[in-house]
Amino acid sequence: MSKTILEVTDLRKHYSQRRGLASVLTGQGRVIPAVDGVSFYLRENETVGLVGESGCGKTTIGRTVLRLTDPSSGRIVFDGRDITHLSRAELRPLRREMQMIFQDLDAGLNPKMRVRAILREALTVYERPSDAEIASRMRELLEQVNLKDSKLANFPSELSGGEKRRVGIARVLAVRPRLIVADEPTSALDVSIQAQVVNLLRDLQKHLGLTYLFISHDLPVVELVSQKVAVMYLGRIVEMGLAETIAHQPRHPYTRSLWSSLADKRSTEVSLSARGGGGERRAWGVFDFEQPASGCRFAPRCPLYQDKGRPAVCTDPASEPPLRDLGNGQVVACHFA
Amino acid sequence: MDAPLLAIEDLRTYFYSRAKRAFIRSVDGVSLQVAPGETLGIVGESGSGKSVTALSAAGLVSAAPGVISGRIELRSNRVRRNLLDGLERYVRVEQQDGRVMAVEKDHRGWRRHAETSMAGVRGKEIAMIFQSPRSALNPYSTIGRQLVETIRLHTSVKGESEAKELAIHWLERVRIDSPRLRFDNFPFGMSGGMCQRAMLAMALCAEPSLLIADEPTTGLDATIQSRIVELLAELKAETGTATLLISHDISVIQRLSDRVAVMYGGTVVETGRATQVLAPQAQARHPYTAALLASIPSTETIRRKSYLQAIEGEVLDTIDVPRGCRFYGRCNRVTEGVRERCAGLEPPLAEVAPGHKLRCWLYPA
Repeated sequence: MSKTILEVTDLRKHYSQRRGLASVLTGQGRVIPAVDGVSFYLRENETVGLVGESGCGKTTIGRTVLRLTDPSSGRIVFDGRDITHLSRAELRPLRREMQMIFQDLDAGLNPKMRVRAILREALTVYERPSDAEIASRMRELLEQVNLKDSKLANFPSELSGGEKRRVGIARVLAVRPRLIVADEPTSALDVSIQAQVVNLLRDLQKHLGLTYLFISHDLPVVELVSQKVAVMYLGRIVEMGLAETIAHQPRHPYTRSLWSSLADKRSTEVSLSARGGGGERRAWGVFDFEQPASGCRFAPRCPLYQDKGRPAVCTDPASEPPLRDLGNGQVVACHFA
Repeated sequence: MDAPLLAIEDLRTYFYSRAKRAFIRSVDGVSLQVAPGETLGIVGESGSGKSVTALSAAGLVSAAPGVISGRIELRSNRVRRNLLDGLERYVRVEQQDGRVMAVEKDHRGWRRHAETSMAGVRGKEIAMIFQSPRSALNPYSTIGRQLVETIRLHTSVKGESEAKELAIHWLERVRIDSPRLRFDNFPFGMSGGMCQRAMLAMALCAEPSLLIADEPTTGLDATIQSRIVELLAELKAETGTATLLISHDISVIQRLSDRVAVMYGGTVVETGRATQVLAPQAQARHPYTAALLASIPSTETIRRKSYLQAIEGEVLDTIDVPRGCRFYGRCNRVTEGVRERCAGLEPPLAEVAPGHKLRCWLYPA
């Protein structure tokens, strides 16, 4: 079995929100626990998918494990080295080994620089290669991301969405990273182009031995590219396991509803009955950091909680369900699953 | 099909690219029909002209030259006319071999005339919901106020308190919980899905004969998307409003549409009943539709972890429109027998089965 490249233990990232003059002056404000005690690991050359609704903390995890934001507590070990408290200077050589692909297509593409200059900059951040080396590396990069030479002379604004994404990926590959956090790499693209990018990312992984933390709310894509999937809800992982298991034998009620809502949208026959009347609809209200549920955070929206006749254990403040091991690598945080 | 409620004929909407000194042929000869009570889904990649077609129908294209020719026939109970009637005289189009070479448009004259023509139609007969509901709502006004304003403007209910009751009724109809409390909410205090529901209430409260829904679920979370799709299906059954639904998400189109039009490069390349066009095994199918359907990860693809079938290349930019088929450059089904025609001559929209039309040389009429 390949070795562990990234290990995250009990990671927390709390943002404080200050509203109004009084809270600014006193330095007190509400605390938003964007990531609230998350542990997982990635093995070399493997892809772990991170899914959940927007606002559940997926992106914050991605940014924190790369130390783009500082964690509030917890431990991040990259390639056997604890990087949780490294200084900026100490992090710098490590940065080239771990890179991020951002959701925003334009992020990292300076609008006033041509593609050639953008790639050249990326190639010369950590090294001082000769012009000939730069030229050959640039050709290699273009080939890797399947982009035409003629695009080198273009400005980002002259590129289509798919091309921008390819340039973004080439820029990341330029420093030869080992770990890539891909934050919604396809969500801003058309389905047809999404497929190109997904294929490209998988090819690159195969040829370059990359490791991906793949953040997305597109469930079929996550299932396709990942070996393992972690499902997040309100800053915590509620279920984790092999991609096939999570997709086909989900145990947590939240994972189940995620997948069934996909099936709903997919189903071809138009059901005209008001399926799932008021109760279910209310179950899908928006979640809210401001009124954290006591006990299980999913209880207020949980269909299982309703079906079981609102058992007290689900809302007991002292017993937020821990991740239980179900065997076969599957863990789930639910009293009843 | 019944007499259409909306008939768009040979619509052309162009824009001008100063950088390239050329026309962007966003909509290039589109004909579409929507029957009363029917949902027509328009699907295609971004840049294929879906949204511009819808905006043209609602008279919301503001950039010059904009709409330059065509007919938009609306036949509801209250309005029966060509919405572009009398506008020809503001435009002079120079054509060569059926291609537009130059456009002279008195834009101000057109706008003034078009505004008069659309008064009493937009919002009342044709209502629209957009992709980003939050940006379509006024951030400085509560959703209740905005709804009341719409009701008093577009319906016979003019009194403040009756309008408020009607507004609350509509908030309830779009399944917003505790509508009386939500009435006083500002858009920023509501989630994206909730804003889209409020937009829907605003669009439907005037009981329009046509609803244009432009990417109504894009940008929402997967779970919320399916709720909005469900709501649209329920409201369609309840109100019977004809809908022009635009989405690049085939699953949404599949779920809600009676008929489907597939657009590519500013033209309709395939149209027919949803069951004909999107059937898993179709007798005849445009290569572009086939490619769109294949690029969605199927259960089989995922199970075998095989590659997705991507459409190679990029969406046609409608500036340098090729002579032949617009999809020729990306098509993977060109055979030697048709190659010459594909490259040299744009195929016509030919009927391959009753109501099912294709624009492809592989399926000549």
